[in-house]
Amino acid sequence: MLLQLNNIYKWVNSGGQRVFLLKDINLNVNEGEFISVMGPSGSGKSTLLNVIGMLDGFDEGEYNFLDESVHNLKEKHRATLYKQYIGFVFQAYHLIDELTVYENLEMPLLYKKMKGTERKALVADALDRFNIVGKKDLFPTQLSGGQQQLVGIARALITNPKLILADEPTGNLNSKQGEEIMDLFKQLNQEGVTIIQVTHSEKNAAYGSRIVNLLDGRKV
Amino acid sequence: MFKTYVKAAWRNLINKKWHSLLNIGGLAIGMAATLLIGMWVYDELSYNTQFKNHSTIAQVMQSQNLSDEISTSSNVSWLLAPELRNTYGDHFKHVVTATFNQNILFTVGDTQVRRRGNFMEAGVADMLSLNMLLGDKDALQDPNSILISKSTAEILFGDENPLEKDIQLGSRTFLKVAGVYEDLPENSSFSNLTYIGSWKFLFDAQGYEERLGWGNNWFQTFVQVQDGADMAAVSALIKDAKLDQIRIEDNPYILNNKPAIQLHPMKKWRLYSKFENGIAVGGRIDRVWLLGVIGFFILLLACINFMNLSTARSLKRAKEVGIRKTIGSIKRQLVLQFLSESFLIVIVAFTISMILALAGLSVFNELTNKSIQIPWADPLFWFAIVIFIALTGFISGSYPAFYLSSFNPANVLKGTITSKQGASRLRKALVVVQFTISIMLIIGTISIFRQVQHAKNRPLGYNKEGMLYVSMNNSDLISKFEAIREELLTSPSIKDVAASDVLATGTFTTNSGFTWKGKDPNFSDEFNTLRATHGYGDMIDWEIKEGRDFSREFKSDSLAFILNETAVTYMGLEEPIGEYIQWGDNGKYKVIGVAKDMVTRSPYGSVAPMIFVLHYGNFLNFINIKIKANSNTQNAIAHIQGVFEKYNPQTPFSYSFLDEDFAEYFEEEVRTGKLVSFFAILAILISCLGIFGLSAFVVEQRTKEIGVRKILGASVFSLWKMLSKDFLILVGISSGIAVPLGYHYMNQWIQDYTYSATLSWWIFAAAICIALTITILTISFQTIKASIVNPVKSLRAE
Repeated sequence: MLLQLNNIYKWVNSGGQRVFLLKDINLNVNEGEFISVMGPSGSGKSTLLNVIGMLDGFDEGEYNFLDESVHNLKEKHRATLYKQYIGFVFQAYHLIDELTVYENLEMPLLYKKMKGTERKALVADALDRFNIVGKKDLFPTQLSGGQQQLVGIARALITNPKLILADEPTGNLNSKQGEEIMDLFKQLNQEGVTIIQVTHSEKNAAYGSRIVNLLDGRKV
Repeated sequence: MFKTYVKAAWRNLINKKWHSLLNIGGLAIGMAATLLIGMWVYDELSYNTQFKNHSTIAQVMQSQNLSDEISTSSNVSWLLAPELRNTYGDHFKHVVTATFNQNILFTVGDTQVRRRGNFMEAGVADMLSLNMLLGDKDALQDPNSILISKSTAEILFGDENPLEKDIQLGSRTFLKVAGVYEDLPENSSFSNLTYIGSWKFLFDAQGYEERLGWGNNWFQTFVQVQDGADMAAVSALIKDAKLDQIRIEDNPYILNNKPAIQLHPMKKWRLYSKFENGIAVGGRIDRVWLLGVIGFFILLLACINFMNLSTARSLKRAKEVGIRKTIGSIKRQLVLQFLSESFLIVIVAFTISMILALAGLSVFNELTNKSIQIPWADPLFWFAIVIFIALTGFISGSYPAFYLSSFNPANVLKGTITSKQGASRLRKALVVVQFTISIMLIIGTISIFRQVQHAKNRPLGYNKEGMLYVSMNNSDLISKFEAIREELLTSPSIKDVAASDVLATGTFTTNSGFTWKGKDPNFSDEFNTLRATHGYGDMIDWEIKEGRDFSREFKSDSLAFILNETAVTYMGLEEPIGEYIQWGDNGKYKVIGVAKDMVTRSPYGSVAPMIFVLHYGNFLNFINIKIKANSNTQNAIAHIQGVFEKYNPQTPFSYSFLDEDFAEYFEEEVRTGKLVSFFAILAILISCLGIFGLSAFVVEQRTKEIGVRKILGASVFSLWKMLSKDFLILVGISSGIAVPLGYHYMNQWIQDYTYSATLSWWIFAAAICIALTITILTISFQTIKASIVNPVKSLRAE
């Protein structure tokens, strides 16, 4: 068991009323799974992903990640936990514009306080693996969308995480680029990486092994 | 890690050129101003500290009860030093009597030059640790010797060895050069000590021993206490040094004054030289504080700009924060990142500020009448710089750092975060602080200049138009006064000539020991006195209210007084004309006239009781000459020069206009005014840079709103009004705070002047108008630009 959500509730108070973003979510994820989260806009997909990624808190319920009770951890410990095990991929890539491709890839390793030689080796590996060696000194704005997302995935994978959280990773890409990215996810999954993706597309959801449907914050 | 922070920060700077320019420019200006002020403050605080013995040297001060007030001055009798040596000698290393600094004509061969210096006792050389380049420190023991500074030696002797050579001082005195010392530091009380004559010589030559007693406070006395001695304790011990002697002598006049002696330590000479009730209460230190506070505020203004511009741009940086957090950065690392970014900016700004400070140093020195130089070689300077950079970096960087790093990554990446209310409220508060300070500085500037103008316009009661004077530093000259006068009057351009002991612009001579009918025997009186020859009053256009002027027709006028109105009130005389006044042993004088009050001392102060005495012979120091209106001044001066060169060939002719002397009263105030206005302009400039950046940000944030409003029919003017309103409200609030505060402080400042301008409402109105106008001009650039943009364009960009 990689992670377990028990009766997770999340709400905001708006105009004296409690609006539920997540309502009684129960979810078990085993290592090696490839899960697609689907649902209409505003159904809570991204919120769920943020909760799993520990970027966002929740109001009620329990969350265990590799036998650690996330709901009892302080920010610093949560950061160490996700820094080690979780990688994020975003629809809008979210690369740092002021840093080159190489420096963007290196960033997570710096936050893990890894030594220089080791860093160099890992970044070189990643550049090699995703075939972007020639782009290493370019800035994100000089790349196409597909290439940026490739860097985004490479950055998510560089710390060798157990879990990849992808929020509509192909949303900003054309269909050919999208397919390439999905093939890459599939391949990564086969190599043993657990993946949870949020998607609108039935076609992309089909890459996964399981589909979780959300409506108004509830699992259906 | 740190390297990538710096790299990212650097690229950020380069990419956002406008933003960086505002940010760094504002900071650099602020830092440059603070640097200059810092050096000024340091210069003031380090005054006199170059003397090795500065912590043990003191000046002996005397407090006396005069006119029901305790007045304290450095004037003492020559008898004090021997008394201190005899009775309290164990406590002192040196006791040195000295004359006041005087300007004397030195002649060596054909070279003639005026030098400033004092006649002092021999101990001074050791006390001031004079660095003797030639000769011996103890040389002053020989009464015929003189020590000269290196600069004096160079002027008089060039490359020759001056030792054992004779110098002619004035017209008759010859002294032998016994030593040459290195010039004393510029920022010290002895910077004018370019020669030291032997006190003993002066003492014998002038016959002081027979002529002068405890009542003649003509000299000053310096002491050096023993190492490790408690200065305050010694000061308390010698309090009655004079009084004890007076009791023995039983001199009722001086006993009445209750003379008290105290030591004024050298470290306080410069900044704490204002005495009230016999206690040093302050003085120049007020100005040090004033400038120090202004410097701090200007730096604060610049830091506020930095904070405001950084938080305003936070939406753009928020995304980066979100990414970094998801990648694994914790808050502390982000704080560190933003702090290092601000430090980078501060260091860049500092580099520019050093260039600005270097460029502005000469102007600043002129404004402050100083010769400050950047102490490159001083490790303390560099240490201060490091502290300065750290402080600035921390003040300006801390808020953005903590604010930005607190963003929730999930929210910022989703794009749902909006500018927090708190942050924009804080920005507004900071803008209010900036404008409050700026407006207060404007109020200060206007008030100071108004006070100066007010005093300049004060009716003086006499006319200084066309008045010039020649100093007589040569006692021969006064004996030829009548002949000189006759010859001067042969020129049709010269109206009149009269000699006097003091000038109409500064009657500092005081005398006491007068007795008149109805005087309370316990009252210790003090009068300003002015001795002059016939015609002096007429020459300065005084107004005789009662009685008559001195006249050549009455021989008895040599024992006559003319009083001013204040003196009549001071003495309580009902019918002053014809009254007799006893002046100590000088005789019984008859009051023959009352003159209207004239402002003959500081134009800021009150008029003192004054006695005019007819006098010829010694004591007269100046020949006053009045040039007729509408006559050619150049010709008149040429004539005067001819006459003086005939009667006094050994002294180079020099003269001054009374107007110039009068202008000196305003120098200090005008200087303060210029300084404050200089910094007021800087403060406004920095604040404007800030609102310029902020208005750009606000406009950018509201681009969509502006577009929509325009499509719905808003005019450019109404948009401009809408966008400007917020800023003007802030300036309005600042005015509300600045006016009462400014009133309070300026009111306090003006208390120092007896003759002061009231703080009119228009000063405050003007300050507010200036602030509002500048604000409108600054923000209009952005608001109008945004208002005239085609809405289709701004909405498409969304």
